[in-house]
Amino acid sequence: MFPGAAADRNVADYVLLGAPLDVSTTFQPGTRFGPDRIRQHARTFDDFDHHTGLRFSDLGVHDGGDLHAWDDAAEYIGFLEGMLSDVRDDGALGIPIGGEHTVSLAGVRAFDPDVFVCLDAHLDLRSEYDGNPMSHATITRQALDVADRAIIVGARTGSEDEWERASENDVTVIPPDEVTAWTSELQVQSNRILDQKPAPASNPVSTSDLDLDSDSDSDSDSNSDLNLNFDWGSVFGGDVYLSVDIDGADPAFAPGTGTMEPFGLMPREMHDVVRALAPHCTGFDVVEVNDRDDGQAAALAGKLLRAFVYEHAARSE
Amino acid sequence: MARQQTEVRDLQEGSYVMIDDTPCQINAYSTAKPGKHGSAKARVEGRGVFDERKRNFTQPVDAKVWVPIVDRKQGQVINIDGSDMQVMDLETYETFPMRIPDGMDPSPDDEIEYLEYEDQRKVV
Repeated sequence: MFPGAAADRNVADYVLLGAPLDVSTTFQPGTRFGPDRIRQHARTFDDFDHHTGLRFSDLGVHDGGDLHAWDDAAEYIGFLEGMLSDVRDDGALGIPIGGEHTVSLAGVRAFDPDVFVCLDAHLDLRSEYDGNPMSHATITRQALDVADRAIIVGARTGSEDEWERASENDVTVIPPDEVTAWTSELQVQSNRILDQKPAPASNPVSTSDLDLDSDSDSDSDSNSDLNLNFDWGSVFGGDVYLSVDIDGADPAFAPGTGTMEPFGLMPREMHDVVRALAPHCTGFDVVEVNDRDDGQAAALAGKLLRAFVYEHAARSE
Repeated sequence: MARQQTEVRDLQEGSYVMIDDTPCQINAYSTAKPGKHGSAKARVEGRGVFDERKRNFTQPVDAKVWVPIVDRKQGQVINIDGSDMQVMDLETYETFPMRIPDGMDPSPDDEIEYLEYEDQRKVV
């Protein structure tokens, strides 16, 4: 069990579901061990979160265990989607724990977001990889079959075709060296919305009431040079699904993942993104953790998962 | 009790099952593979026969579940009274009131089909 996730399923606000899928991993396999690895390396974390003043074990988190994975990924994703839909229908937020990134598709389909935000080293915009359309390398493209747009935070690699796809209007790429500034603006916009109308995250504020862009320069801590044309309304105006692919982090911090990509994000940067976005999210997952390190990737994944729950719960009360 | 017991593995889309003690018709049924240990699980999604509410469960395929025996019966409209109608069962000649469903415009002597489970009825 994930530490502190002892709430009864019937009254839970958050339901963790291990999804140890490991069939399309293309380099270092081992995501089948990811969910248990994350549970194991979360044992040392304090229950109390000083950012929010909340205790994790008070937040109604239930660990539903793992959905044993088999090799038909499409069928597996379909079953997982059904389980997550059941969680949604019960008024809770289902959190898949990967498992290869393909499992995010189940969450996206179940929660049907307007915006898919992803912390990821890779664009994942391929239509197929090695002839397989149901691959961890196609997840953002498949998410765009459900969501209206995708924001890929920390992406630093992709094929020529993927970069071309990324240049279309429905995709925004925030490269690693812009993530800190982008997150500062994200925090400003997020706080403005939350201060203006402390609505539950499952009931996002309408952007028509917020006038997000008109006075953004008036905030002293906003970075007005960055992404001047970024459409913040699209982030805060609809349902947001946040997917954390642990390879978004620099491999120095999270080597236990399938396809390491250098020049990545600092854990603190990922933490800031998760904290800022969590109150506005209706779906979340953390994926691509394997067992090929000393627990660095799993510890980071577990910590980001907890950060999400703390921040989401704090703003939903 | 108008119900019988079966195993989850014997359910299928379109059939009835009790979910949360309520008769439901199954509209989605899928199974997860078992692996070496543990048994295969099935996810069953149904809709309440009488209240239309969506319900679901995920259980091992060898778990026992109750299947309600929902009767499909013939009746005849006897009388209309506002939003209710008096209906007579054409087999037992029992009469009972039923709420007129939205979109239905019955007249006396019309023959109808309805589902019945214990004291709940619904025009089909």
